Amino acid sequence: MTTMTETQTSGVRSTAGTKGVTFAGVLRSEWIKLFSLMSTRILLLLTLVAIIGVGALAVLIRFSFLDEMARQARDQGQTLTPEMMSQTFPPGSGFDLYNLPNAGLQIGILVLGSLAVLFISSEYATGMIRSTMNAVPRRTPAFVAKAILLAVISYVITTIAAVATFLIAMPVFQGLGLDLDWSTEGVLYSVFTGGLYVAGVALIGLSLGALLRNSAGGITVLVGLFFVLSIAASFMTFIPGDFWKYVPQYLPSDAGGRFLSIGHTDGVIDPWQGGLIFLGYVLLFLVPAMIVLKKRDV
Amino acid sequence: MIEATGLSKVYGSKTAVDGVSFTVKAGQVTGFLGPNGAGKSTTMRMIMGLDRPTSGTVTVNGLHYADHKAPLHQVGALLDAKAVHTSRSAYNHLRAMAATHNIPTSRVHEVIEMTGLEAVARKKAGGFSLGMGQRLGIANALLGDPQTLILDEPVNGLDPEGVLWVRNLVRYLAGQGKTVFLSSHLMSEMAQTADHLIVIGRGKIIADAPVQDIIAGTRQVKTLVRTSAATQLSALLSGDGVTVDQGQPETLEVTGLDARQIAQVALDNRVLVYELTPQQSSLEDAYFDLTKDEVEYHSHLTGGPAGEFAPETAPATAGK
Repeated sequence: MTTMTETQTSGVRSTAGTKGVTFAGVLRSEWIKLFSLMSTRILLLLTLVAIIGVGALAVLIRFSFLDEMARQARDQGQTLTPEMMSQTFPPGSGFDLYNLPNAGLQIGILVLGSLAVLFISSEYATGMIRSTMNAVPRRTPAFVAKAILLAVISYVITTIAAVATFLIAMPVFQGLGLDLDWSTEGVLYSVFTGGLYVAGVALIGLSLGALLRNSAGGITVLVGLFFVLSIAASFMTFIPGDFWKYVPQYLPSDAGGRFLSIGHTDGVIDPWQGGLIFLGYVLLFLVPAMIVLKKRDV
Repeated sequence: MIEATGLSKVYGSKTAVDGVSFTVKAGQVTGFLGPNGAGKSTTMRMIMGLDRPTSGTVTVNGLHYADHKAPLHQVGALLDAKAVHTSRSAYNHLRAMAATHNIPTSRVHEVIEMTGLEAVARKKAGGFSLGMGQRLGIANALLGDPQTLILDEPVNGLDPEGVLWVRNLVRYLAGQGKTVFLSSHLMSEMAQTADHLIVIGRGKIIADAPVQDIIAGTRQVKTLVRTSAATQLSALLSGDGVTVDQGQPETLEVTGLDARQIAQVALDNRVLVYELTPQQSSLEDAYFDLTKDEVEYHSHLTGGPAGEFAPETAPATAGK
């Protein structure tokens, strides 16, 4: 046994290195895996373009609306002041200008969330997962590296898109005489929290991919969770009684969406509460995924 | 050195590996031989920590595989030639694997060269032929210049030149003092490559001995006799513990008596014998002898001993 221990520690390799597994190495490995696929690079680029595009479209729609109002006012011999324009968007109506940076967020959720599912489910589909777990037999570091990478990439792309969208929006609305710039209340908050929400969705996507080990299944559940469920729950508000009106806001998509807005509304959870609820959902998927990944045969 | 102790794996109601214990020593090629579905792949996956043993333990160089600080330097494994993302190039696959252990890119180029993949290294692995996939799997296994090499059916799909290359490679590595553990259902391959054999059937170890011992020890020597009076000699030789098969005209296959005893009987009875040849029992015969009761998937087409000729369709439980 002593000789064996010696070969383990003194196993000098001239060309293959001797450092062993490091977390930085695992992170670099996952980075190579992600960006060595042409599909990922194209997808990330298109996602960025699409989020900005949808944002620009939202800017255009709001601009046309305001422009039309101003024209009608002029026809009636009145002048629409910026104050009046601002009042046409009551808080919580979804027309808050400070929220514009995140207008294209739904695209980001859909694409980056699906990419996150695929990042691990495609490894199961191709058998790559066995190579991954041979190299990182403790398994958890590989999953954590994937999670960090996806969260950072999702955050960076969403934030870049938010900044770009706002840079498009600012001159347009300033042209109408509206006081909209970086110092407008809620703008910076909106720009920097949108990415957190998308990163959270990506982590849920990764967890679904690890739990279900199936690309189609993972993406279906993710879409169900963030798009279908919210629509289905909105029908609850038709049920008589006040109680049902307050249920949908606890869904992951609604709680996460609330986290991106500012201000207090009676009967509605506060943004920070929305953020915490959403974080709870992320952990609800992430923790079981890590446990299952560690225990299950591959 | 690989040490398995009471290793078992049960999938639902099916026992794939049933309490096996064995040691694979360094400095020699150990063959892991058995029919399809005998538990070879499952055992190898348990060594690599991919499957959790239902009971028992298996260690490599004294530790569970996952407990090594530098697993790729300890063990290189080819368990499944298709353990590669189909849309990624061979080069990028190896680079990603190397990155986990901070293995320099120069080593990636080295293994690509060693396995003759230079021409296709930048192409998507999904388009690889079975043979190229095997070469990529072997390149992957060699990446960390490991002390122990575990190869599951490495010559599957390789052309004759590739088969020879694998044979020379594993012999060379064993010569360097490394541990080489090689599975196959092809006994002819094992006869030429392995020093030591572990034969498994239906999840149990049937034999664990040097190749020569297995060839020599499992079957009584058969003697081919050519005589002008086959029927007469057959009657004279028959007796307790002796079987005489009369195949072609003037030809007998005698088991249970050696050549000298047969010659004596012939001389005593004045029967002309013009050929008397002891038959060297092959590893193949030995293997069929060992596994005839253990083959799980008998071929109904030939009715003969299956094993080698059955297509590689291990059951889902044992094959995945």
